Amino acid sequence: MIGYLPGHSPLHRAHPYTTLAMAGALLLGAFALTQPLEVWLLVLAAATFAAVGGVLRASARTALVLSLPIWALLFVLHGMLGAEPRMMAGPFALSVPGIARALVLGGRVTAIVLGFLTALATVSPHRLVEAMTAGGVPFGRTFLLASTLTVLPRMRERAAQILEAQQCRGLRLGGSPFARLRALGPLALPLVLGALAEVDEQVLALDARGAASTARRTALDPPPDSRAQRALRGALLILVAVAYAWKFWRMRG
Amino acid sequence: MTALVALEGVTFTYPGADRPALADVSLELASGDLLVVTGETGAGASTLLLVATGFAPRVVGGTLTGMRRIAARRCGVVFARPWTQLTGLCATVRDEIAFGPASQGLPRETIRAAAGRAMEGLRIAHLADREPARLSGGELQRVVVAAALAMEPEVLALDDPAAELDPEAADALYDVLPAVAAAGTAILVATPDLERAARVARRAVALAAGRIVARGAPAEVLGGTAVADIARAAGCPPPFPVDVPALLRRVRR
Repeated sequence: MIGYLPGHSPLHRAHPYTTLAMAGALLLGAFALTQPLEVWLLVLAAATFAAVGGVLRASARTALVLSLPIWALLFVLHGMLGAEPRMMAGPFALSVPGIARALVLGGRVTAIVLGFLTALATVSPHRLVEAMTAGGVPFGRTFLLASTLTVLPRMRERAAQILEAQQCRGLRLGGSPFARLRALGPLALPLVLGALAEVDEQVLALDARGAASTARRTALDPPPDSRAQRALRGALLILVAVAYAWKFWRMRG
Repeated sequence: MTALVALEGVTFTYPGADRPALADVSLELASGDLLVVTGETGAGASTLLLVATGFAPRVVGGTLTGMRRIAARRCGVVFARPWTQLTGLCATVRDEIAFGPASQGLPRETIRAAAGRAMEGLRIAHLADREPARLSGGELQRVVVAAALAMEPEVLALDDPAAELDPEAADALYDVLPAVAAAGTAILVATPDLERAARVARRAVALAAGRIVARGAPAEVLGGTAVADIARAAGCPPPFPVDVPALLRRVRR
């Protein structure tokens, strides 16, 4: 699951800036925190964020799939090749500071991925566009952000169509890993070439509909914002600033 | 009457091309015109649309020589593949159609009224709350045409607009065009669908290798095929059917 999932959770109903501010705070917080316990509290916060959005299961599953290879790499790089002292874990002599480092880095990645996936799943691109339009953000920037949020679901949909078409023409998807890898060619090539071929028309169509206009766009249905949400976004900003101040204070100490 | 678009000896070459896509083309388009452009694939009909509406070379690049004057303040363009013309940012058909007027910064009431008129004109008011990505190709093409009309263009270019439509929807689309032209919009249609084009067009031009090889009344220009000659010899009233299926349909009627 990567993409927007319609719903009625508090995150779905919140102003898009509020949800994005929470995801942003998780991202910035991940780099401000340096101890394994702190980072794993942040992972817990990311999981709570996903749970509030009603997308915990879907987001956690995808986050796990995306984070596991990084975890494996961190384990080898820091846990096995890290500095002394070492502790025995079964047949492995693991580096104690290396494991702590792997836990911090892995926790950061997990928290960031989980937060990002939750924001993707709960921020409707349409509401985000309306919010940014109402805020006077130039359309170019709005389009860049919104199309980034929607590109993966669109590509996935297109890939499914190409896959069906290629299967109708005899493409076999099963078999050995090598055979599966070989099947990627007939999928990836039309996917990329098709997307590139349509870019010209998309640019023309957007231009024809005034996307390049210098007039300030009218927001048709801007999502409601509230004093409480603005206060929450301000509080998150302060929290991140405090976390960084704490980090640098500790570094000096 | 003042021409909305005037081309005189225009030659246009795409970037990197070794020969021009349009050569020495002269054409005038006035308010209320309904001009059909036809020719073999690669004859330059689509390019003529882009040049006449100002999108070439401004958006697509390339070089243009000769005299081109575009007095129209707003030009719309619709391509054959409707899915490439969606913004991807709108949750409903209503918002998709309102995208263009919203780009012009018009007041909300004006935008909603323009979108409503366009939907009524294309008989798609019942689709207003549907998600654009979930529509059929035929429905989508009508949405795209309505989106172009909602901007109230002075010149509307349609590039093979019925390519994705079933015969009934194609008839419905072509039936709308005379009313749009009568309201003052100059319409340019590039299409291989000569029978439908002949039914609605006021003028026609035929292109070959980027040059205009015939121009005049639709029956004269579009009827220049062997099938049309047979129909003419048989005393069939114009517009003459231009291919065998069209001739058979006419005979059955």
